[in-house]
Amino acid sequence: MANLSSSRPDFSGQTALSGLASNTSANPDGGAIGLVFGEMAHLGKLNLRGQNDLAKTVKVITGCTFPPKANRFQSAGDRHVVWLGPDEYLLLCEAGKEQELQDSLNRMIPSPHFAITDVSDSLCALSLRGPAVRAVLAKGCGLDLHPKKFAAGQSAQSLLALSAVTLMAVADDAFILICRTSFAPYVQRWLADAALEYGYQYIA
Amino acid sequence: MLIITCPFCGPRDEVEFACGGEAHVARPLADNKISDADFADYLFMRDNPKGLFLERWRHSAGCRRWFNVARDTVSNEIVEIYLMGSLPVKTAAKTTYKTSWRRDTAAEKAATPSRSKAGGSK
Repeated sequence: MANLSSSRPDFSGQTALSGLASNTSANPDGGAIGLVFGEMAHLGKLNLRGQNDLAKTVKVITGCTFPPKANRFQSAGDRHVVWLGPDEYLLLCEAGKEQELQDSLNRMIPSPHFAITDVSDSLCALSLRGPAVRAVLAKGCGLDLHPKKFAAGQSAQSLLALSAVTLMAVADDAFILICRTSFAPYVQRWLADAALEYGYQYIA
Repeated sequence: MLIITCPFCGPRDEVEFACGGEAHVARPLADNKISDADFADYLFMRDNPKGLFLERWRHSAGCRRWFNVARDTVSNEIVEIYLMGSLPVKTAAKTTYKTSWRRDTAAEKAATPSRSKAGGSK
């Protein structure tokens, strides 16, 4: 077979939404913009499988304790530990730090029963904020997103407009949304469309 | 639409889940030789009752974990949700488990180590 490597496109440094320009749609009612969102480009993401005995090492290295309950996350600065399952967590860290973090976790966790996988490029993280953020998400998600039922510090894996997402409530009007990289253009366009009536600003 | 209570995530919409069919179908051990006809009970035969049914479900859009559900196939009432590897404790679900035709099959009996082996004579 012919060597195709010379004709292979170079995707290095690109993210799921790097081809997309910033754009804005004003609030038709003339008020404040309802949704301001953008990609958290190159956010480091590590999938951690293991039991609670990893908590101590994870705390030392990331500064985050393990989430106290299911569907919660813990934060320390830019780093988050998100509950994904009874023995599964997602570690979020600053862009470019994931390799270093993975290496130190691999080195320092004493138990042999764990697995860390770098999923930084497999998943795409979007930062969402604005007064209408919950109203926009509620259009495509079956979860009860009322601030009393889905308060800051809570997370959930669910479906948003039929695509699998992880939602993290950072504040009453701010979320981190994590979806598959291949679904990111769809999710971005869906969010923009759903936010038309409130006005949106997408920051590339 | 059903609201199913995932044992880990709590109540969620049915669309987040996938049904994995009949629960408590144990695979016969390779050491316990059984006939092809008996093995077919394990491999092919699945119950399709009108009434209470013990099923496996997976929270596929959530925590992606398997669990068991005792569901009435007529009314869709969920009688009990219990973890993988455990048996139901509610009376109705317990009765369904105990009275299933599968409990008497050679395939199910062959799924546990035979008594002579468990005795440990080398």
